[in-house]
Formats: sequence, structure tokens, C-alpha cells
Amino acid sequence: MRITQGTFSFLPDLTDAEIRAQIDYALAQGWSCSVEYTDEPHPRNTFWEMWCAPLFDLKDAAGVMQEVDACRKAWPDAYVKVSAFDSTLGFETTRLSFIVHRPGREPDFALVRTEGAGRTQRYSMR
Amino acid sequence: MSAVLPATIAAADEPIEGVALDALYRESNVGAILDALDRELIGLAPVKRRLREIAAFLLVSRARERLGLSTGAPSLHMSFTGNPGTGKTTVAMRMAEILHRLGYVRKGHLVAVTRDDLVGQYIGHTAPKTKEVLKRAMGGVLFIDEAYYLYRPENERDYGQEAIEILLQVMENQRDDLVVILAGYKDRMDTFFRSNPGMASRIAHHIDFPDYSAEELYAIAELMLSGMQYRLDPHAALAMREYIDRRRGQPHFANARSIRNALDRARLRQANRLFAAGGVATREALATIAAQDIRASRVFDPAA
Amino acid sequence: MNRRIDPEAIQDPRERYRAGVLKYRQMGYWQPDYEPKETDVIALFRVTPQPGVDPEEAAAAVAGESSTATWTVVWTDRLTACDQYRAKAYRVDPVPNTGPGTSTEQQWFAYIAYDLDLFEPGSITNLTASIIGNVFGFKPLKALRLEDMRIPVAYLKTFDGPPTGIVVERERLDKFGRPLLGATVKPKLGLSGKNYGRVVYEALKGGLDFTKDDENINSQAFMHWRDRFLNCLEAVNRAQAASGEVKGHYLNVSAATMEDMYERAEFAKELGSMIVMIDLVIGYTAIQSMSKWARRNDMILHLHRAGHSTYTRQKSHGVSFRVIAKWMRMAGVDHIHAGTAVGKLEGDPLTVQGFYNVCRESHNDVDLARGLFFEQPWAGLRKMMPVASGGIHAGQMHQLIDLFGDDCVLQFGGGTIGHPMGIQAGATANRVALEAMVKARNEGRDIAREGPQILDDAARACAPLAQALQTWKDVTFDYTSTDTPDFAVTATPA
Repeated sequence: MRITQGTFSFLPDLTDAEIRAQIDYALAQGWSCSVEYTDEPHPRNTFWEMWCAPLFDLKDAAGVMQEVDACRKAWPDAYVKVSAFDSTLGFETTRLSFIVHRPGREPDFALVRTEGAGRTQRYSMR
Repeated sequence: MSAVLPATIAAADEPIEGVALDALYRESNVGAILDALDRELIGLAPVKRRLREIAAFLLVSRARERLGLSTGAPSLHMSFTGNPGTGKTTVAMRMAEILHRLGYVRKGHLVAVTRDDLVGQYIGHTAPKTKEVLKRAMGGVLFIDEAYYLYRPENERDYGQEAIEILLQVMENQRDDLVVILAGYKDRMDTFFRSNPGMASRIAHHIDFPDYSAEELYAIAELMLSGMQYRLDPHAALAMREYIDRRRGQPHFANARSIRNALDRARLRQANRLFAAGGVATREALATIAAQDIRASRVFDPAA
Repeated sequence: MNRRIDPEAIQDPRERYRAGVLKYRQMGYWQPDYEPKETDVIALFRVTPQPGVDPEEAAAAVAGESSTATWTVVWTDRLTACDQYRAKAYRVDPVPNTGPGTSTEQQWFAYIAYDLDLFEPGSITNLTASIIGNVFGFKPLKALRLEDMRIPVAYLKTFDGPPTGIVVERERLDKFGRPLLGATVKPKLGLSGKNYGRVVYEALKGGLDFTKDDENINSQAFMHWRDRFLNCLEAVNRAQAASGEVKGHYLNVSAATMEDMYERAEFAKELGSMIVMIDLVIGYTAIQSMSKWARRNDMILHLHRAGHSTYTRQKSHGVSFRVIAKWMRMAGVDHIHAGTAVGKLEGDPLTVQGFYNVCRESHNDVDLARGLFFEQPWAGLRKMMPVASGGIHAGQMHQLIDLFGDDCVLQFGGGTIGHPMGIQAGATANRVALEAMVKARNEGRDIAREGPQILDDAARACAPLAQALQTWKDVTFDYTSTDTPDFAVTATPA
């Protein structure tokens, strides 16, 4: 199942040139980019592994693309995403985040139901 | 907003027969930078000439590309040699802008570093340090001052060699991403290149920055002073010329930088002189450097 | 203390407090040289006086009747520090484009300052009862509108503000860099619980982030609230598993009494919902209670502004929505419907942008072209997510993003459920249109101009979007707005 996380997941997978363009946009806003990967794409898993520390002070996408390529090569069976972080007052959070690599086979999620009182159910995903 | 030439233009239906170089030059707006350089930097005639030659070469490369005559990406790495205070960093910044306007670097910023920014203190420290600097410089120009300090063959535990290896790699394989300018004293750079032929072979342009003449140094002094809204009275002007003549021959002369330092000291003495005199300081007095403000310098000591 | 004394103000206390009727400006409610303090609450009213009432007297009357005065002098005033408690009308400006030679009666902007001590800390009910509780029916005024307010930081700090806020909401959803997408379940009324849940499942699975109860879906004969909650959470969780993304449905917990509301909210929490919804008509006290509850229970709180246009829509009389938005940010809601500008409901684009800025800036600058009359710092109160809902469709995506940016929720109820190929297709069409537009904007394209082309390009790879564009391409809602800004943008010389 194609997991639809990240800002552009309903569009065809981004080409390298398109990834660069988004990174350039983020850098132009003064955001710092980082590359993360995971093999656990559960939607409540917000702590993916950091491939590298956030790349501060960059002016051009080339530096980030290097890390993207290195991460994709090192973890071909993981999800890889690029996140852009904004440290200005009032935000101090991620402003853009999109997937740049998917494993060959994407997992499905099964819904696990636990009966509760009355008609209630507790749901979790596996 | 400065115009930037695209590397290629959209394919036309018929092949173009020729490119109007004048138009290309105007379009790129490189002329504005070269003219500004002429105005703002005193002397440096051979450097300015060289810059115009390089700009013309790059412009023609663009023109050839438009006509489908491929040359491959030209190598743009450079070395700037000369004594301190001769304008190497300033010209490097202008070079970054020129390369940007001609479309050879994507963003046109300058990152200036020395050996300590590239080389680590312990094992495994150098590679990430160098790579981090390179990443910051991508899209622009990396200026490495006193680059020869990277090479310390006498100390086998020195990590400079690792930084050199990484630089060589990037200078060869990522020419689209980064331009490197190495800088330093001429004799030491020559030694460095002889011991590192790989590095030498990657440098396309060697530019030497000659020392300023006495006349040029005097012109620099005047330019600096007028920028700070001071002037020299006629006796001070004479004193300044004499100062320059004497100071040039002395050790650790750093050209324009030494002139700036001398002027700062002269201004300090002027201030103290006016303060000691007391009373009302006229506009005239406040803006004028007198001879004694300069002659108080140690440079004029009989023993020197 | 005022420096220049109004010639009509009576200074001698024995004269001032002798029994009888005085003009309001004689009683000290008009103080033209009063300098508002940092800690004063300031209100800006748009006043249409009755014929024969001069503007300063009208402003003074508003000040008086919204603070300490009554229609006749009372000696008991002298038992108080009345100079402090008296509201001060300190400035009156004519409203542009009104008066002789125009089609509108002369209106006046009246600035009135209130001492901080007049208000109970942390109570919107008290703030509103004080400012609008009494004065709007006052006979000497033909019409009155509360146009804007400046809330001092000292007072803002007594409120908790939005329990979640835009930043934390996005972090909980793990969704960044684009507007969020929602849809109200349609038809407005009549679906049973199971069928309702079906609509929710289809819309969320197709690609929306949220679905929503409508404001009048509470608990009716055709669907009891418990059935709705059970079916909706089943749908939300199924859609989450089918997409791998966090999804939500705003469960409307509005009810007849607070006790009922708490019961419904607790059940939503028990079922694992991440968000609940309330209507403006439950009242300011209830809203603050629910805000407190939401904060305690990590629940995002969505506010539907039901009923607001009875008093926000006409420029001459009522309360401007920007003031409602400020109150709601203080009371503490996370989402608030704030207008679409291009949809079926009232909203001039600049005025609506002004509302959005009130919701989500950390600090509002004066912006007369957008109807913001005061500089308003928000003292760290979290940001509210404005919601655009009402008659918008995928073909307007470029206008919506151009006007409102990324931090908003775009709701396409009819625009999802009315899609010819079904609800999932409708949801997918909206999501693809949105992502394509955001991507193009980031790449540097001018989406205001190239929007339709970008949509057409994206539609080539997405049949649902192509169908949506075809079905609704000629739909626009072009009527003259009733609530437009008073000040035009002046072009600055190049």
C-alpha cells in the first residue's frame, strides 16, 4: 500500500530535480534541512532515524542532495524523507516534510480492535 | 535584481547562426561589477586585466554553448598569490558575483576559511569538518586563505592531507557545484603546488596580486580618509608620503591593511590633540589630520 | 489624566453630582487628550448618531453606557474612584466614504479606553458583557458596530488561549508544508449513523485529512449522537489503516447543557478521537469551559462560528468578526471558521485576510487595508487555525492558496461529496490539486496567474481531478460584498 505521508505523497514520486527545487525553496525561506529514514512508517512514529544532524547555514541544495543520495544508497529498503525546520519565534517547528525514497515493497497496516464496554472499541494499527 | 544568464536557453526551432556578444555582455550585467571593481579598488592593474580576460572567456564559452559547440564545463578553480592587504579576499568576492551573473555558480556567495576550519584535531574529525564547509560553500565560491598550511609533510600525524584529498575530489567531480580559490604568499604557494601536483593541475587560473606602489598606497590612504570624512592638510599630505616610503621597506607590511592601521592611529592622535587643546573644536579642525598626528609614529624614529 | 479639558466638562464636583440629567460629555466621558495606557482595553466603535447628536457626545455616550454611567446623575458615584472606572472616549474620526455626497449616513470611528480593573481576569463573558452588554440598543445611536479592539498584554496573560495551536496540531498530525483538507458531511441533516460513517470513511480514505459534523448535527431523531460517534471513529481508524496517515473527524459535542457536553466530549475521548467540535451558539462561558477541558484532555478544539453573521455581516451595526476572532483566540479554540473570500458565504478578500492574520500571527501590525486598526501583540497565545469552508471547489485551489497560505484548513463539503465519480474520487481530486499547487508555488511559479494551467497539468495524471474541474469550472459566487474595508491600499511609488 502506498503510504500517503509527507507533503507531496499524492503526486507521482518526485524526481531529483523536483526534490532539489523544494530544498532550494526551503533554504530560501531560511529553513534548515535534515534527512531522516525509518523502517517503521506507522503514522504515530514521529521520530524517524536522523541520517545526519540538521544542515544549518546552507545556501544551495547540493549539500542536502549529497546526504539524500548517501542515505538512499545506505538504506535502500527504508523510507527516506527530507524535513525543513524553521527556528523563528512563533514557529520553531517543521515547515515542510516530504518522502524522497520508498522501499520496493511497502507494508500494509492491519487494524487491531479491542472490545471495550458497551459498543466501544479501542483501535490500534499493526 | 541582478540578471543571471541561464546555462542553456530553450531549444529554438532553427539552429542559431551567431550570438551577439555585446548583447550577451549587457544581459549578464557583468559590466557593472567590473566597473565597480575599477572604481573601488586602487591599482591592481594586472589583476583587473586578468579578471576582464576571464570574464570574456566565460562569456564566449556561454556563446559557444548556445550554438551547440560544447567544450565541457570549463575549470574555474583559481589561485591568488600576493602579500597580505593586496585585495585578494575583496576580488574573490567580486569573482563570485561575476561567476554567478554568468551562470557558472548557482547562488554566488563566498565562504572564506583557513586551515583550521577544514582540519580536525583528532582522528575522524577532519572529514566531517571539511565536508561541512564544502556543503556550506556549494552553489558559490570557497576561498581558502594561506592554503599551504594544509600541507605539513614533516608531521605524519597531521590531518591536513585528508582535507586535501577531499578537496581534490570535489574540485574534480563537482565542478558544477563549487569553485575553489586558494590564496597566500607567492613563494609558499609555489612550494605547495610543487609538492601537490594534483592540486596544481586542477587550478585553471593563477592570478598574482602585486604590492601597491607608493603612489597607489597614498591614493588608498586618501580614499579611506575621504570615506571617513577626514582630510589631510598639506603638511600632513607630505608626512603621509614620507610615512609610506619608510613603512613599505619595514617588515610585516600588509599593504592596504597597514595603511588602514596607520590612519586609525593618526585619528587617535588627532583626537587626543584636540582634546588636550580644549575649547571649541571647529568642523574644520575635527575633519583635518595634521602633520604631527602622523609624524608621531615610531616609523619616523631616527633609530628605525 | 487629561491635560486639555473639554470646555463642556464640568469640573466642580458639587455641580457635577447635583441630581439631574447631564450630557455624557459633561460627565467626563469625552477626554480628547487622554493617552491610553499600556494596560487599557481599547475599543473602536463605528457610530451612526441620531440626527442632532454630535459625534463627541455620541462617543461619550457609548463610553458612558459601556462603563459606569446611567441616564441620570447618581450621588453614589462619589463613593468610588469614578475617574478611574469611567471609560474615556478620546478620539473621534469621520469614516471615509460616508456622509453628505455618499449613499451612507455619516459614520464616525470612536476610540474608547477602559481601565484594566473593569474586567474580570480570564473571562470572555465578562469582557463582552461589559463592552457590548448594554450600549447597542441605546436610543441616541441609530446604529453601532464594534469594529476592533486592542487587548493589552496584561489582560491577554490572564487567558490560556488555544489549547493546542497550529504548531502542536501539525506535530500531532505529522503534516507540514500544506493546508489541511476537510469536508463537512452532506446532506446537512438526515443521514443515519452508519451511513454517516460511510461518508466519513470514503472521504478520509480518498485523501482528506479531516471530516466534520455540521453545526446543527447534535443529537436528533434521525441520528443519536452516540451512534454517530461510534460509526465515525470506526471510519476514521479504518481510513487511517488504509492510508498510513493520521486522520480525524470533528465530533460535534454541542448540546443543551454543559453536563451533556461533558458527557459527549468524554465519550469522544474514550473512543480515541483526536478532535471535537463546538458551535459558537453554546455561548462564551461554555466555550471557555470546553477549552479548559480540551487542554486537560489533549483534544484539538474546532469552533464553528454558527450564528455569527446575524451580527457580523452589516458594516453599520453589530460586531465585526475580527473582534469575535480575537475573543475566541483568548477563550481558547484551535480551529475557527474565518471565511473563504471566493466561496458561497460573505467575505471580501482583504477583510478575510485580516481575520486570518488575527487568528495566526504572533503580532498584528496596524493594517487599515485589511481592517486591522490596532497593533496587537499576542503575548505567546497560541495560533488558531483558520478554516475556509463554504462553496469552494478544487478549481479555486490557486486562489485559496494565494490568498491564505499554508496554515489553514480548506473544507470542500459539496466539492468532495458531490463529485460525479464518488466521494473517494472527490477527496483525491482535492488532495492532488492541493499538493500540485503547493509544489508549483514552492518551485517559484506564479500560482495566481498560472493556477488553472497547473491544475490542468495535474489533472492529466489524475482522472478524478479532471472530472472535478469539468463539473465545476464555471462556478463562481460573484456578489458585492457587504463587509468591505474602509481604507484602500495605496500604491507606493516605485
